[in-house]
Amino acid sequence: MSDNESPPRRKLYDDEEDEEEEDSEGSEDVENEGSRKKPKRVKQRQKRDALSRFLDIEAEVSDEEEEDEDLSSEGEAGFITKEGALPEDEDEDDLSGRHHARVDKRRQAEEYRAEKSAEEIAREGGGHRRFTGEMSEIPQRLLMPSVHDASLWQVRVKPGREREIVFSLMRKSLDLEYTNKPVSILSAFQRDSLPGMIYVEARSAQQVSQACNGLVGVYPSRGIHLVPIDEMALLLMIKKVDGGEKIVPGTWVRLKRGKYAGDLAQVVDVTENGEEVGVRFVPRIDLNPREDDGGGRKRKKNPAPNTTNPSSSSSSRPPQRLFNFEEVIKVYGRNAVSKRGQVFVFLGDTYKDGFVEKDIKLNSIILEDVNPTLDEITMFSSNNTNLEETMVDLSIIAEASRKAALAVLQPGDHVEVFQGEQAGLHGTVQEIHGDTLTIIALDPALHSQKIDLPARSVRKRFKPGDHVKVMQGKNTGETGLVVSVADTNNSRTMNENTIVTFISDMSMQEISVFSKDLREAAEVGNTTNIVGEYELHDLVQLDLQTVGVIYKTHQSSFLILTQHSQSRLVHPHQISLKKDKSDSLRSIATDSHGFEIRVGDMMKESEGEQRKGRVLHIHQSHFAFLFNRDIAENGGVFVTRARGLVSITPKGALGAGKLPPGADLTKMNPAAAGGAQGSAIGRGPRDRLIGAHVVVIKGPHKGYVGIVKDTNGVGLTALARVELNTGNKIISIEKGKLHKKLWGNNNGSGGRTPGWGSNTGGRTPFGAGGRTPFGAGAGSGGAPGGGGRTPNPYAAGNQTPAWNTGSKTPNPYAHGNAGAGNQTPAWNVGSKTPNPYTLSSGGGSGGGATPGRWDSDRNEDNDTHKDGGGGWGSPIPAGSGSGIGGWGADISSSSSWVTIPSTPGYAHLTSSSSSSHTAPYAAPTPAPTYSDYESNAAPTPEPSPTWLLDPSLSLHLSLLRIHILGTKLDKYLDGAYEGLHARVLAASRTALIKIQGQPEPSSEQDSQSERSFPIKYLLPVAPATQDATAVILYGPRKGQKVKMRQRPDEGSRTELVVVESVVDSGGGGASSEGGSEEGGGGGAFWECQKDWMCVCW
Amino acid sequence: MSDAASAIIPPTKSRHLRACLLCSIIQTSADFRSIGCPNCEEILQLKDNPDRILACTTSYFDGVIALIDTETSWVARWQRTAKYARGMYAARVKGRVPEDVEAELDSRGIKYRPRDQSEQD
Repeated sequence: MSDNESPPRRKLYDDEEDEEEEDSEGSEDVENEGSRKKPKRVKQRQKRDALSRFLDIEAEVSDEEEEDEDLSSEGEAGFITKEGALPEDEDEDDLSGRHHARVDKRRQAEEYRAEKSAEEIAREGGGHRRFTGEMSEIPQRLLMPSVHDASLWQVRVKPGREREIVFSLMRKSLDLEYTNKPVSILSAFQRDSLPGMIYVEARSAQQVSQACNGLVGVYPSRGIHLVPIDEMALLLMIKKVDGGEKIVPGTWVRLKRGKYAGDLAQVVDVTENGEEVGVRFVPRIDLNPREDDGGGRKRKKNPAPNTTNPSSSSSSRPPQRLFNFEEVIKVYGRNAVSKRGQVFVFLGDTYKDGFVEKDIKLNSIILEDVNPTLDEITMFSSNNTNLEETMVDLSIIAEASRKAALAVLQPGDHVEVFQGEQAGLHGTVQEIHGDTLTIIALDPALHSQKIDLPARSVRKRFKPGDHVKVMQGKNTGETGLVVSVADTNNSRTMNENTIVTFISDMSMQEISVFSKDLREAAEVGNTTNIVGEYELHDLVQLDLQTVGVIYKTHQSSFLILTQHSQSRLVHPHQISLKKDKSDSLRSIATDSHGFEIRVGDMMKESEGEQRKGRVLHIHQSHFAFLFNRDIAENGGVFVTRARGLVSITPKGALGAGKLPPGADLTKMNPAAAGGAQGSAIGRGPRDRLIGAHVVVIKGPHKGYVGIVKDTNGVGLTALARVELNTGNKIISIEKGKLHKKLWGNNNGSGGRTPGWGSNTGGRTPFGAGGRTPFGAGAGSGGAPGGGGRTPNPYAAGNQTPAWNTGSKTPNPYAHGNAGAGNQTPAWNVGSKTPNPYTLSSGGGSGGGATPGRWDSDRNEDNDTHKDGGGGWGSPIPAGSGSGIGGWGADISSSSSWVTIPSTPGYAHLTSSSSSSHTAPYAAPTPAPTYSDYESNAAPTPEPSPTWLLDPSLSLHLSLLRIHILGTKLDKYLDGAYEGLHARVLAASRTALIKIQGQPEPSSEQDSQSERSFPIKYLLPVAPATQDATAVILYGPRKGQKVKMRQRPDEGSRTELVVVESVVDSGGGGASSEGGSEEGGGGGAFWECQKDWMCVCW
Repeated sequence: MSDAASAIIPPTKSRHLRACLLCSIIQTSADFRSIGCPNCEEILQLKDNPDRILACTTSYFDGVIALIDTETSWVARWQRTAKYARGMYAARVKGRVPEDVEAELDSRGIKYRPRDQSEQD
């Protein structure tokens, strides 16, 4: 410091006395500033002296009193009084015990100044100025700004450049210090939490704008606002809410940079100065390093090239995976990893317990908005078997969520206060407001007083005998009776928690958890027991040889009992396959008496421990997993040989076929029933709905199409389990919400899912009900079980390849021997169970096709069909004759069919009708379909010749895709336009159409022309592709625009297809649609007959 | 204004800005190494002592104050930097000085005030 140092120090006080001086200073000539200032200062000092020092001091005192009334009570009052007024040196003097000299010094300030400066110079020359920590004794509140201090001015700046601008102001003021335009601001500052503004300390706004003038990114034009004096200190007291203070071991953070950017990490320790934190996180070790980067091989020889990042070369970062010594040395070689005690060192990083442990700079981690997801945390916690540690994690999660109290406490909770003035108090939570709780004290002395408390100061209180439920953690969902409550010894972070031990209602084992994770609950553990897609008691495949049943679920792992009666702790990823439930339902084994065992049966071991239990799963017809709640071991699950079981219920009779008709067999799995059928013929009727194709007509699944798998009774409220065609999902739904689809339609869909096509025959009885001759036959002739029996829908569901071929191959009927012959064995293969239904139903379908129906139905179809119908007629005897006899008979019958297709009519049909494909025609088994459909659905109205003129279509007229038919017959224009597709441009008696050359909509390369056509030749084109837009031509929804939501089957013109109303349609009638679709109205999805629509361009 | 002692004004863009835990002055770590802390060098002895710099300064601070007229400025008084060199100071500095510094301050009868605003009076 120079000898000129003192003048500016005095300046404050000069200014206080005479602000005009300060204001005029800037304009004064500063050519010889040093000399100017000194005289001035002297003058002022003299002025002050003249006023007498006492006056001076009094003034200061009054200033202080303005700020703080407590002043006088402070022991240091005298000292403080001087604080504002006295130069530093005097404070220093004070510290060095020369307090008494102050008054004198005051009077001789001038001399002292000079003396002091010299002293300082000497000191500076001799080394560093002694650090004195001056002013640190003064309480902060006494430093509050007074009216004599310069003001703070808020200036708008460009967000993000605040710091830069503050630096610029500093540099600018230093640079201009000795120029004729010095910057006269006293300070400037910026706070990170106040973006877009800086604060400048100056005497006037004009000084501020002068200082900011010329700086880029400062917007003085947006106003220089005076900060009220009482807010000045607040600006400097801003604390980041989420500041570094909160970093304690266990805090969750995110990494900012590098290959771990965004990864969650947990703070392990914090260095002394809080600048670096030790964190651990899940490593991303590249286990497939590229060879060409010199990595893999080289590293083998070079044990620890710290610099190289194993994955820095690869573009995508490797997945998170806990460090696995074995895996890593496999890839990088044994030398790459060195082991030091418990930790591994690999490529310069330290790995402990599978995690990377690393010291990281505080500014390369993200502390805010970490929001760790459960999955991420699971990675950290899954390894902790140790209770203590797990709990540390959990408590930290709760803390990290910042709503710890809220998350944990709920009104009605019983809490006790463990810190603060009210410690020891207990009561019930009444209200929660943010972080504040209102509790009603239970202490009799407090008379149920309501007390507000910070949420952090309370913890939940439990006492032995309480029935509790675990709200979070590995044991979530467990309930039980508290047996003991213990304070944790670890007071560091755990003091809000006590360990509560309770006996689980489910496992009867003691479980210890922290009180904060508990709630009092009356209910008994009804935990969902689902981890991922695995549920308690699921049968899962662990490896090729091992399956097991989950008997206990943890937060992220299961305990599994394998078929060898071993218990294993398994994580979801170790499970290779979950056995499908229906799969397991289908499996059958025999008990010691040779009776069948099915899932759900109550069985008993015939020897050994004679344990009883309900069959959960049967594995390979040999092992049975049973469950008995009374057995404590393995969660009540045990495994035994199926052969060693006896039924507890007298159900063996069932297998012998003695069950009286009418018994509720509907719950039985159809597959199982099918299997049983092998031994039992002529069982009572099952619910005929099973296997039927249905449409959901109400509820959230409305519009979905599916097959009934199972029902549990009769009546509209009974539930049916419906396997949806979409999404392979099975839903339970009331029967009343289902509408049976007609099998004709099924057949249409049969073209799509091969399984259905072939199945159709079997399902006929349902679809047709009693209406068709065949149905009747089925009903009455059901005695042998063949005809009346429902086909095995599972066989259909199986969709075994055999069936596929069956359905895909051109209609065996049509194609005679070869087709039928191929077909037959295929079916046998397809249905694994010796299921007579499928077979007999195959015959049945033949039987169902009475010639009469054929003829009658096909009236409006091609003539050729009629011929075919004749041909078809003959299978009936064959079919019916073979219906009972099983497949063997059918084969013979099929041989009789052979003759049928060969009837000229049919042959003719195949050759002449559809141009090339047989496939669509193969589906035609549909012929019956079609007819059958017709009998139920409203018949398609013959398009009126003037259909185009219907007013309801006028809106979409120009969209309609029409084709030209009938010109050949009438020789209109020589039939040159026959078959062409066209767009209507306008319609009157003769429509103006735009003709696309090709009948195929896809190719438009041909000539396009416009011409008029008599509308009687213009017929609508039915939609043929999914997602096509179409316009409804008939019925109450006439004129609406719809979108096809199902791929129409080319083979069937009258197929019911699922359509979705397009938004711009007018809402339409809510009544029935498509003739058969009672409940179809009003919703977005419904069904419409294909030929009721005209596709749009 | 006179040529009162000014600290080196670090470049704005510097990535290595650090704040002294004791006086909250902001400098680059290079400056701390070459000249030490302009205010507390006597007690901290940061010069040519990188470990000491790491221990006694931090890069974790919030708010930058340009102190131009340390004597007059209320901000400086409030921040208790009025007697210090002109320069850039941090409004809030995270962390505490090492214990030996605290002990030293104590032995000199100086009350240590952490710059993290954790203690208010």
